[in-house]
Amino acid sequence: MRKVTSYLVTLIMANILCVAAFSQNVTISGNIRNSSSKESVAAVSVTVKGGSEGTFTDDKGNFSITAKSFPVTLIFSSIGFESQEITVTEKKKLDVAFKPVSSLGQEIVVSASRVPERILESPVSIERISAANIRNAPSSNFYDIVSTLKGVDVSTSSITFRTPTTRGFGGSGNVRFNQLVDGMDNQAPGLNFSVGAIVGLNELDIDNIELLSGATSALYGSGGMNGTMLMTSKNPFKYQGLSFVVKEGIMHLGDNERDPSAYHNIALRWAEKINNKLAFQFSGEFVRAKDWLGSDYRDYDRSTSKLRAGDRRTDPNYDGVNVYGDETTADIRQVLSGIAQQAPFLAGFISTLTTKPINVSRSGWTEAQLINPNTINFKLSGSLHYKITNNTEAIVAAYWGTGNSIYTGASRYSLRNFKMGQYKVELNNKNWVLRAYTTQENAGDTYNLSATTQVFNESWKPSGGSTGWYSQYGQAYLTAKLNGLSDQDAHDAARKVADVGRPVIGSSAFNKSYDSVRVIAVPQGGALLDRSDLYAIDGNYNLSTYTHSIADVIVGANFKDYRLNSQGTLFADSANPIGIREYGAFAQLSRAITKALKVTASGRYDKNEYFKGRFTPRITAVYTVAKNNNIRASYQTAYRFPSNQMQWINLDLLSYKLIGGNKDFTALYHFDTNPLYDRDSLANGKKVSQSFGELKPESLSSFELGYKGLLMDSKLLVDIYGYYGQYTDFLSRRVVVQSKTGGPIVAGDADTGNVFSIPVNITEKVKTYGWGIGLDYRLPANFTISLNVASDNLEHVPKSFIAYFNTPKYKVNASLSNSGFGKKKRYGFNIAYRWQDAFYFEGDLANGNLQPVTTLDAQFSIKIPKVKTIVKLGATNLLNQYYYNTVGNSNVGGLYYISLGYNLY
Amino acid sequence: MKYISKMNKIGFLSAIAAMLILSSCNKDLEQFSEAAPVTPTGNSLGATLAANPDDSLYLVLVKRGGLLETINNTATTFTMFVPGNNAMRSFVAAVSGGLLPPGTPDPIIAGFLSTTFPADQAAGIVSYNIVPQSLKIANIPAAFPNFQYATILNPQPTLSDLLRLTTFPSASAAVGPWVNNVPLVATDIAASNGIIHNTLAMVVPPQRFLWDRINTDAGLTYLKAAIIRADSGIVPGPPGGVPTTLQGALESIGANLTVFAPTDAAFQATLTGAITQALIQQGLPPATAAATAAALASSPSVFSNPALYPVLTAQTVQGIVSYHLLTSRAFTNNFPTTETAFPTLLSTVFTAAPTNIKLKATFSVPFVSAATVQGNYNATPANILINASPLLPDPYGTSDQHFVNGTIQEIDQVLIPLPL
Repeated sequence: MRKVTSYLVTLIMANILCVAAFSQNVTISGNIRNSSSKESVAAVSVTVKGGSEGTFTDDKGNFSITAKSFPVTLIFSSIGFESQEITVTEKKKLDVAFKPVSSLGQEIVVSASRVPERILESPVSIERISAANIRNAPSSNFYDIVSTLKGVDVSTSSITFRTPTTRGFGGSGNVRFNQLVDGMDNQAPGLNFSVGAIVGLNELDIDNIELLSGATSALYGSGGMNGTMLMTSKNPFKYQGLSFVVKEGIMHLGDNERDPSAYHNIALRWAEKINNKLAFQFSGEFVRAKDWLGSDYRDYDRSTSKLRAGDRRTDPNYDGVNVYGDETTADIRQVLSGIAQQAPFLAGFISTLTTKPINVSRSGWTEAQLINPNTINFKLSGSLHYKITNNTEAIVAAYWGTGNSIYTGASRYSLRNFKMGQYKVELNNKNWVLRAYTTQENAGDTYNLSATTQVFNESWKPSGGSTGWYSQYGQAYLTAKLNGLSDQDAHDAARKVADVGRPVIGSSAFNKSYDSVRVIAVPQGGALLDRSDLYAIDGNYNLSTYTHSIADVIVGANFKDYRLNSQGTLFADSANPIGIREYGAFAQLSRAITKALKVTASGRYDKNEYFKGRFTPRITAVYTVAKNNNIRASYQTAYRFPSNQMQWINLDLLSYKLIGGNKDFTALYHFDTNPLYDRDSLANGKKVSQSFGELKPESLSSFELGYKGLLMDSKLLVDIYGYYGQYTDFLSRRVVVQSKTGGPIVAGDADTGNVFSIPVNITEKVKTYGWGIGLDYRLPANFTISLNVASDNLEHVPKSFIAYFNTPKYKVNASLSNSGFGKKKRYGFNIAYRWQDAFYFEGDLANGNLQPVTTLDAQFSIKIPKVKTIVKLGATNLLNQYYYNTVGNSNVGGLYYISLGYNLY
Repeated sequence: MKYISKMNKIGFLSAIAAMLILSSCNKDLEQFSEAAPVTPTGNSLGATLAANPDDSLYLVLVKRGGLLETINNTATTFTMFVPGNNAMRSFVAAVSGGLLPPGTPDPIIAGFLSTTFPADQAAGIVSYNIVPQSLKIANIPAAFPNFQYATILNPQPTLSDLLRLTTFPSASAAVGPWVNNVPLVATDIAASNGIIHNTLAMVVPPQRFLWDRINTDAGLTYLKAAIIRADSGIVPGPPGGVPTTLQGALESIGANLTVFAPTDAAFQATLTGAITQALIQQGLPPATAAATAAALASSPSVFSNPALYPVLTAQTVQGIVSYHLLTSRAFTNNFPTTETAFPTLLSTVFTAAPTNIKLKATFSVPFVSAATVQGNYNATPANILINASPLLPDPYGTSDQHFVNGTIQEIDQVLIPLPL
């Protein structure tokens, strides 16, 4: 190992020190304009043919490059334009007319093979969003564009919190889908959700987003069972100048819960090349809006994890999905039998009422009543880039974000003053990358709505005690029954009595009291004190320069050190922070077997300190059937270690405890002496014991076959894929129960025992399969029509396991767009349609059927070249058809905005 | 080119139109239907009374008590025990002190009820006739003792919302349905918000406590003296609290007892016999012993005679009295027709020997013709002194005397749990 390391270090040093030492003495400057619109073109690559010198045009289209001597041949290239070569023989200002071309399928992607290649030649399914796509998209936020990609599902917790996934497992805290921002894992180390939309880049920063569907851990490590999304920011050497976008919008039209309100979004980016060696970039974004609300008031039965009929009036034990505080429940027969003892003359009457449980929940509050309506997101990022040589760049970068948002996990969490920073240093050579970064998470004043509201209820009137809420309720209920009232009316009357003294929403008494509870850590309050961190180092080296004659070789390694620190409010870490270390290494070999066939093989080994090491191979092949027509095939094994939460969470959800799978829980909850049994089986009279503490990583063997090609005179881009995968040791959850007393388990424990949700591996082979078709057709006059359809399926999940597959069987995206039409091509528009099928959603907050969702987004834009400005009129969910894409998440309506963008490129 | 452009336009427009049409509507959240609440049909209790001419006088009483709205409220469910007009006439004859004897024309009776009869009494009586739940005869337990149902009559609303006088419907297969000491003549008359049972006589709320009767009844003076003797040396519980003495229990609203009350003659006979035996054992000649015993037992002061304290210890008397109490309310109409043993109050504290008593009744439907109760060491069963005429209420009767906290059944023997 040491030998390999020193060899790598030597190679790296050789690259850095290999500085071109010859003198340069002619400087050529010039300006590049779009031949058709006459606008200046920024970020065009200008290189000297046969040399290593290169630069980019600035935001006014100007460039300046130095070469050895005349004549000099300059190569101009940029996506969306025809490349040009111009030979310069004397010193003069060059004016280049750059010709735009239709370039279906010509984008370059990097993530599929870790080397640049045309998207058409990618060996696995990949989607790409460019800065140009973002400019012409109707979404209010670049992150939302992802949902229009083939096979992507999005779960919306908040206007600023959307979580994408591919091939299943949607939900706010998706741990099967990696998100990397400039090479850094963007997942909050403690809360385990990716914070792509809250922390990190703004829409002006994005150079491109690449999305790999399906198993990707052979290249990107643990996680990424279902896909990896890589966001790459603009390099300040290439993209310079000041840009900004101001969006003003209106939302909550026709909303039952909130009045129409404004949406504000300002984003800014400033990058300068100080000289050929040094450049910096700074950007920020501010979003402010009244958030979408979870307003699902259906009645949820936590004991069976199913929605049920009823509302606050008809069900005394009502527990609304987005109603909080009503999770506290008790059987008032206890109160009634107490009364019967004290007043024996009522014993007879009471005995007629108490033949079955009378479960009553405390009165709750809706999300609209409780949560601070203002979602704020403030992002800052900055980087300093220094070119050590022409080929080696040193980068110091910081990405930071804070704000209020809403996240859906086992409850709804109001993220207040949530902060997360990612800081990295990186050395970036054309052949290798070495990167060290840290993620610093601070949950701020984040609190759990259910826990906070339950504790708050206790603070104004305790549930128990002779003058407690339930005692008052029970007495009033009995009084009402003694007056001949129906059960429902008696419950109504009882609730009115027990709720006397309930603080009035919005009153200073309410706010003061509620605020005092939400800052105290759970379980005494509702605050989540997560301060978890991640420290990571990774690097890779492309050895192809040395090995090209045999094969192209890339090797890499990474190390991750998590420090979970929730002070016992989320994890079992009340005594000490929990450390989790992971490391891994990979190698990839690729070789063109024939002119038409390229084969790539890679392998990766990973080790987590709590789990045995894992080797994951991948083999891919791309066969060129004809020019621009490729068939791809891949086999890969992806794996994931159980997420930090799946290992260490320790959350009391009152009706059950959500715990991790680490064997230390055995001692904590005495599973060795008081064993666990499957609750569903027990409820049906069968004792099925459940072992604990032998959690294994989950793996997925996946085959994929695809075709991508240009047809009909390169006007039609077709992308088709099909996949089949089989999970081994599929990680799921199971609801189990142990005896409350520690004695032998009895049937009644199904209701009254200690209930846990524990992570388990499913021993059966769970199968997944699906397919997708994408069609992009370039019509005359720059119109493009696109359609994609995808389907994902999961089968053979045994009953009583919770798979969280959460994906519609079918989904369709269609769009019609034009990025420049009309006189002088100044007008643009995009109209995008999405439909997804109904499906059954499983989450820790609630399960239930979701209805099909259809949305229509649209934008119309006008360029005003004189002032380098684009004015856009846009709408997401144009028809204002409110929808949920996850049970318990926010109800999303239309957002209508006008935006003014300056110097967008 | 023009053609293409036209085709394009048509294409775009139709594509946009298709998107608009397809995305026209997102469905609301899946809803779960509840069983539709059953809307009551038919006449309310008030209307049902009004529709039955035989209930006309009672309806006047309901109105006088201000309870018509209550029984017409379809949001509530009640069971009513309603006396027919004949029973109402008897009731009015009684409460008018004979001014309006049976035979008085109904309009005059109605006039009396709606003007002269005190409204609060009317409210109390009607409230006592209402049980706040649906109580079909089939749902009333037939087992002994009578099941205790709360009525809507709160005797002291200022004390607690939960105070209720209780009533004791029974459904004995042998004698048919009763409520307290009154037989039902028609049952299960359905109304939209409840059920009506017609009673043979007015079911009057008890106003007195067991102790009130024992304390004042000239024929139960020995029992009273025995209770006082039994309680001697015991500190009474706090007022309103849990009673610690027998007298306290007999005065408590929270108690629910049956007192088999031996008459003075029964006590005299038993005491005389017992004292005679004791004196003979002490060596007195039988005749002297008998005469002395008769003299000693000739008045209730036998229990407060210090000379007899060693024999009639407080504990012995307590045991004897407790043996005469059931911790439930027994009406003879619910007695078994074959001799059956039931535990007594003594059973709850004394488990060393059998402390049950055996009950039995014979019926002449709808009334009881004979009822007996037998102690362990009684040679023959004691007879319950059945009322001279059926339904004689407290203080006039001797059986099924109904009080706030229990019933009294007078008997002709003292029940003996252990050899004296």
